[in-house]
Amino acid sequence: MNAWQLAWRVSQHDRRTFWAGEVLFVLFFVFPVGIGWVLGRAFDAVGDGDVSTAIRWVGVLLVLEAGRMATIHAAALVWTRVWLQMQTFLRANLLTAQVASGGPEAGQPIGSAGEAVTHFRDDAEDVARFVDGMVDVSAGLVFTILAGVVMGLTDLAAAMILIVPLVVVGVATKALDQRIKQYRAADREATAAVTGLVGDMMSAATTVKANDATEPLLDRLGVLVERRRVTAVRDRVLEECLEAFSRGVADVGLALVLLVGAGALAAGTFSVGDVALFTAYLGWLGFLPRMVGRALARQKQAAVAFERMRHLVADGDARNTVTPRHLPIKRSDERVRPAVERPERVPLDRLDVIGLTARYAGGAGVADVDLSIRRGEFVVVTGEIGSGKSTLLRAVLGLAWQAEVSGEVRWNGRRIEDRSAFLVPPNAAFLPQVPQLVSDSLAENIAFGDADDDAVRRALTLAMLADDVDAWPDREATLIGPRGLRLSGGQRQRLAGARAVVHQPELVVLDDVSSALDVETELQLWENLASAGLTVLAVSHRAVAFERADQVLHLVSGRLVG
Amino acid sequence: MSSERRVRAVLPLLRPQAGRWVALGVLTAVGAGLTVVGPLVVREIVDRAVDGTDAATIRRLAIVFLLIVVTAQVVAVLVARSATYTAWRTTNELRMRMSRHVLGLDHEFHRRHTPGELIQRVDGDITSVSDLLGRVLPKAAGSAILVGGMIVVVTVIDWRIGAGMFVYVVLAVAAVLVLRHRAVEESADELGAYARLYGGIEERLNASEDLRSNGAGSHAMWRFVEDSAGALDRSVRRESAFLGMWWGVQGAVVGGVVLSVVAGAVLVSRDAITVGTAFLLFQYVLLIQRPLEEVVHELETVQKATGAMRRVLALMAVEPTLLDRGTTSPVAGPLSVEFARVSFDYGDDDPVLHDVDLSIGAGRSVGIVGRTGSGKTTFSRLVLRLVEATDGSVRLGDVRIADIPMRELRRRVALVPQEVELFNGTIRDNVTLFDPVPSDDAVLAALRSVGLDALANAGIDRPLGGGGAGLSAGEAQLLAMARVWLRDPDLVVLDEATARVDPATERRIESAMRELMHGRTTLVIAHRLSTLAEVDDIVVFEQGRIVEAGPRTELASDPDGRFRRLLDLALEPDAGARRSAAEGLLA
Repeated sequence: MNAWQLAWRVSQHDRRTFWAGEVLFVLFFVFPVGIGWVLGRAFDAVGDGDVSTAIRWVGVLLVLEAGRMATIHAAALVWTRVWLQMQTFLRANLLTAQVASGGPEAGQPIGSAGEAVTHFRDDAEDVARFVDGMVDVSAGLVFTILAGVVMGLTDLAAAMILIVPLVVVGVATKALDQRIKQYRAADREATAAVTGLVGDMMSAATTVKANDATEPLLDRLGVLVERRRVTAVRDRVLEECLEAFSRGVADVGLALVLLVGAGALAAGTFSVGDVALFTAYLGWLGFLPRMVGRALARQKQAAVAFERMRHLVADGDARNTVTPRHLPIKRSDERVRPAVERPERVPLDRLDVIGLTARYAGGAGVADVDLSIRRGEFVVVTGEIGSGKSTLLRAVLGLAWQAEVSGEVRWNGRRIEDRSAFLVPPNAAFLPQVPQLVSDSLAENIAFGDADDDAVRRALTLAMLADDVDAWPDREATLIGPRGLRLSGGQRQRLAGARAVVHQPELVVLDDVSSALDVETELQLWENLASAGLTVLAVSHRAVAFERADQVLHLVSGRLVG
Repeated sequence: MSSERRVRAVLPLLRPQAGRWVALGVLTAVGAGLTVVGPLVVREIVDRAVDGTDAATIRRLAIVFLLIVVTAQVVAVLVARSATYTAWRTTNELRMRMSRHVLGLDHEFHRRHTPGELIQRVDGDITSVSDLLGRVLPKAAGSAILVGGMIVVVTVIDWRIGAGMFVYVVLAVAAVLVLRHRAVEESADELGAYARLYGGIEERLNASEDLRSNGAGSHAMWRFVEDSAGALDRSVRRESAFLGMWWGVQGAVVGGVVLSVVAGAVLVSRDAITVGTAFLLFQYVLLIQRPLEEVVHELETVQKATGAMRRVLALMAVEPTLLDRGTTSPVAGPLSVEFARVSFDYGDDDPVLHDVDLSIGAGRSVGIVGRTGSGKTTFSRLVLRLVEATDGSVRLGDVRIADIPMRELRRRVALVPQEVELFNGTIRDNVTLFDPVPSDDAVLAALRSVGLDALANAGIDRPLGGGGAGLSAGEAQLLAMARVWLRDPDLVVLDEATARVDPATERRIESAMRELMHGRTTLVIAHRLSTLAEVDDIVVFEQGRIVEAGPRTELASDPDGRFRRLLDLALEPDAGARRSAAEGLLA
């Protein structure tokens, strides 16, 4: 599917609203045809000194203007909805792919969230801009045809000459629009370098001072801000050139009309009313070529945007960015929080990992791992950094997305087909080494809307966070800030621990907790998990874990030894 | 009065580029003048046509008009170029001054303000000022000259029309201003809603694995739909408010057109003006649309920039509390450290250190241990004079720390911080902190001395990603040690990394530390205890007090001592023991 077809699907996400917007925009561009003609007649009356006829035409003018303004009012409000709906539609498809626990919709995870968010923001907007541009083109086309007919009937030669500046504007817009995008990117890069250095300097203010490095750093900053000045000026000049073209087209067009129509003007066949008519139309005529130029540039940008977005969705197929789905975001839509979809609980008797291999492109990973865990066991995996401990856990859970994975995992002797879909609560829960939280309440971060208060309380106690929570005025309703940054590292780890046990999963999988928890806390955690009767697979290298373990598995270069 | 003071504070900024600003003003006036003159030529054409002149005259006039409008657009581009250039030159000077000032402020100040906030002050706010100077100001000047010029021209033709036009402009601007206010508020709300939407998306992407493994996808999607609905709601409101404003501008223009046609008809019928003049009025009314729209859009920029300027000035007014008035230099060589009854609190009456007495001989190496929050880090900040003792005295090399000139102190006392900040730059930049003076050989030697041979061999002009991409926490600490090694100070404070370090890197850190300790006083703030095998003495902090201090070997063998207990608890007393534990597992 090419960008046109994909963008078409985006536009048809909410068909009714889209077509209402389209019709209103076209109508908005029909009014000026009448307005220009009426102005011409009014000026002819002025030229004749006929006051009452002039006033009559002015009355008609007022009615038409009111109609035009009412139309644009409605069009703008409808289009605001379409604009956001189109982007939300794309974003929803991307996000679904990024947060689905397995299944046909799950897409490859992306590297950095900061970079990926640009796909959600800029790429989705680029596509919406393309659709937006095409709607403008359709409306501008209607105006240009109608106005062209009226002007041609007035003076064919004067009307024909206008094609020249219009084509120039169209070509210039297309060329400059592309370049503006490049210049803007360069400017953004230069700005990022400045803010990057300022940020580095400010977060390292102590280091800078303690190393007596203020002067050399400021020298460096001086170079960067001057570089940005150059890019900023270049960007602005180009933008102003484009502006000058579109502003100038009406004046230049009028000059050409006067030049071509000089004979008719002198002869009196080209009246002052006709000059007024051309002047009025010229104010609008620049619109179409600008929009065509822009839409052509945007079509390219939209194609690039789809190409980038497709990496986020299932199978890297751009068609999955436009899967129809219901998104109740309009005020008139009824919004009901959907029930959380979870797999059925299957009580665990034993888990068998057989010949599990996960290999990353760089060569790291695990090879040929066999292990068995029986219900209620505490199994510890240990090994040096880079020996593949985290990869092993992820491969078992079906989270080693970037790796090539083979081998199988059996639940009570039966092979799990889609591990990332099955090994979620209530069957399994995972506590990564650096858990990521979201800016919501403490309770939401633990339960995600799918556990009652008692369960949350129990989980907090088990994870040794209950005492901390009781000290906060809002207790479980405490907002933990963006990414949970209002909590300390240890609290975040324990919160994630509570999240892992809140559904009393059949299997708890924990990556190394020792970087965030001290020895005593870690020891207490193992005891709590044991007394809750949970089956645990954990990475650790502390003796407190080895002592309690039913099995200690040692990984060396991705293989189990001993 | 305050606004006057603000203006006075801005003026010195403009002075260095005064010549450029004047030239810009002239250019702007020329551009606006051409825009006023163009329609006069059209007026001439219309009048000649009505009078029945020949086609050649009209053609000549049309060419003049064409030249004028083309020149006007060229001038507009030149104005934009010159204005942007001058504004950035001016504000870049301000940026540099601000950066220098903020870097000079206390540790306490930086503790209270996030880097993000300071970026906003030092760069974001100044960019708003730059936008004002480089874009809005020339535009506003151009519009004012344009409107003024039109009124003058019309007044010369007929003073009554001139007066009418003046009243019309005043009323039109007033109408737009009234409608504008609400729109500004609504657009701020909309920005907030979008920030929430994108912030939420970024956060969820960041937590993607956590959400997937917790089956929380539908929860994340629900929050996303809620945020999107919020953004749509805000957008629709902002759009409605802007439409109100749009009605204002369009209404003013339509009103102007109607007035000009009716007035033209009446005056022409009485032979008071020519048809060409009536047409001139019509063209001028169309020209007023742009300045009106600018009033709408740019007043917001003006407000933003004045707010920004106020914050910039407020920040410039913050003075460092640590004064640099010292004149005494301690004798050369390793520095002794002496604390006499030192207390410290962060201004909240919640003391972090109580009555600390400690004496460390020149050239000794001391391990500082204690649990998180026991006061170790504050202790090290006092030694570096990043903070000042609330009570008691700190002496380095027998000189009161406040009596040592800051430059001297910074030269002789160095810090290897717990979390090493790396800069977006080359490896060389990160070792020298952008100082061009040290030779490449010196940088290479520094890297090799701390065991970063691989980094040295691969070439020091390679970029090191921002945030130290490609370096582990342990390696980053080694790099920070290389920084210190290069500077060769007399006292080093080493705040050990809390992040986990693999055994190989840990061994490199130990040997780099041995290298650094040589010939200077060293304080090691230990979090892992394994590195303490190298130090002479141990100091144990507990809740802001020293509870144990003495030679390491003595404390380690005291079975009831606190240090001994810490060692037992850690279960990793030194790297050797852990290695054997690992080997035991292998067997």
